[in-house]
Amino acid sequence: MESSIKRIRGVAEAPEQAFDDEIVDLDFHVNPLEDELLAYVEDDRALDKLTTEFGATPVMGKWDAAYGIKEGQEGLFTQGRAKYAEDVREACAPLAIDEPIVNPGINNLNLQHHPVLKNAVCQAANDYMLDHFVDEGVYTAMMVPKWDPDYAVSEIDRLADEDGIVAGYSWFDPKVPWGNEQFDPVFEALVKHDLPLLLHGSLAYWPQHSYIGDDMLTWTEVLGFDWPIHAMVTVVNMIMRGVFDKYPDLSVVIQEGGHWWVPFLRYRMDEFYEMHPEDIQITPRKMESGERYLGRLPSEYLRDNVYFCTQPFALPRNAGEAENLLDLSLADEMFLYSSDWPHQTLDPPTWFYTSRAFDEETRKRILSENAKEILTI
Amino acid sequence: MAHTENFRKVAEVGDIPLGEGEGFDVGGIEIAVFNTGDEYYAISNRCSHQHAPLCKAGERKINAEDTWTDERGGVDTEACTVSCPWHLWEWDLETGEHEASGQRIGTFDCTVEDGDILVRI
Ligand code: FES
Repeated sequence: MESSIKRIRGVAEAPEQAFDDEIVDLDFHVNPLEDELLAYVEDDRALDKLTTEFGATPVMGKWDAAYGIKEGQEGLFTQGRAKYAEDVREACAPLAIDEPIVNPGINNLNLQHHPVLKNAVCQAANDYMLDHFVDEGVYTAMMVPKWDPDYAVSEIDRLADEDGIVAGYSWFDPKVPWGNEQFDPVFEALVKHDLPLLLHGSLAYWPQHSYIGDDMLTWTEVLGFDWPIHAMVTVVNMIMRGVFDKYPDLSVVIQEGGHWWVPFLRYRMDEFYEMHPEDIQITPRKMESGERYLGRLPSEYLRDNVYFCTQPFALPRNAGEAENLLDLSLADEMFLYSSDWPHQTLDPPTWFYTSRAFDEETRKRILSENAKEILTI
Repeated sequence: MAHTENFRKVAEVGDIPLGEGEGFDVGGIEIAVFNTGDEYYAISNRCSHQHAPLCKAGERKINAEDTWTDERGGVDTEACTVSCPWHLWEWDLETGEHEASGQRIGTFDCTVEDGDILVRI
């Protein structure tokens, strides 16, 4: 009798089958210690200011996950803190993640005030990632400084040829949306180097100082809805403003911006565009090219150029409903698995095994194949 | 003794440190046994949210010294709860309830006799 009682030990935290499958994780945050990060800042004047008592990124978001959980601040480091490659490997092992794509998780940088200081932190972050991850064989998404497109291009040109740099990492945010023509040189550089652009959400920085933002009193509203609304606006702005007509090879990946709104966009964009196409011709890229309309239906760019990370997945528990939603969202073409380690909204790959909504093929595509199509790994 | 009929030994007192838990597979059923100091509690090892193994609650984080708290979830001995190592849902060890969602997971009778920790599945 006693023999049927076994201690559960060992490291596995994902279903057995997950360990047989290949799993690529598009959103794995590492968090350098501030001192170690700042040691990489090249400009002494910037370094002097970045080491004042206010720290490198003094501006806080308006509202924080800490208010939404009992453990307060723990949310950002619920699983721990990865500083170096061996930490990432240790974290991935029990979760069956084979290829984490790491990014320097300094997500509040975009919100900071001073462009010179922000560039200095960006340069330091990218060099830190080179030393501690790229050189250690961990695929890395380099930081792309959205606030300074010229500097973004020079960072991409500086780093993109490193084998381990597989994507650019930036943000959808409350500032100039990515459809704006000022980002064309960035798109050009990304396409030239065959890097997808990952766009992540960040803090409660958005929408700040607006009636709606000021009345969002819960983290559920901020993380759950202000991010997706802005991610949605970003995607539609890029499509309608002709980014993908000009850069058909550009891939954009939305991270933590939600994904179940794909069906909404597919049908609504086409319906509205077909009924009101005459203002396309006076958008700046079309003024330049002389084209009157988009080359294709809006939903086709969504399908071919835009991808969505799955975390936090919020999969319906009913497998039939989940399957319908996956179908309508073209999940087998557009979804990419992401864990968001080490944050509280972590998604280990369990969903893909515990829900009957996934057939073998869809699971494989989401867990690795779609990612490998757009990343050169 | 009659009241420990159908109970099975999973561990000995001293095996599970105060404020920690240990997972067991009892004839194919996964349970986690937690030591709150006053009592041992046995509860389903799988969180109903996304199936995290609750026995890992309280495990030390990677580079814990550089985070704000040392552990992934963990036991609150006073409140008699365990919070899940993944997303911190807090489970009542006595009732198996997660208050915010109203969800419930299995709990099992657990007792100590002659230095043995016994569980009834
Ligand atoms: S799996 Fe336990 S809280 Fe999510």
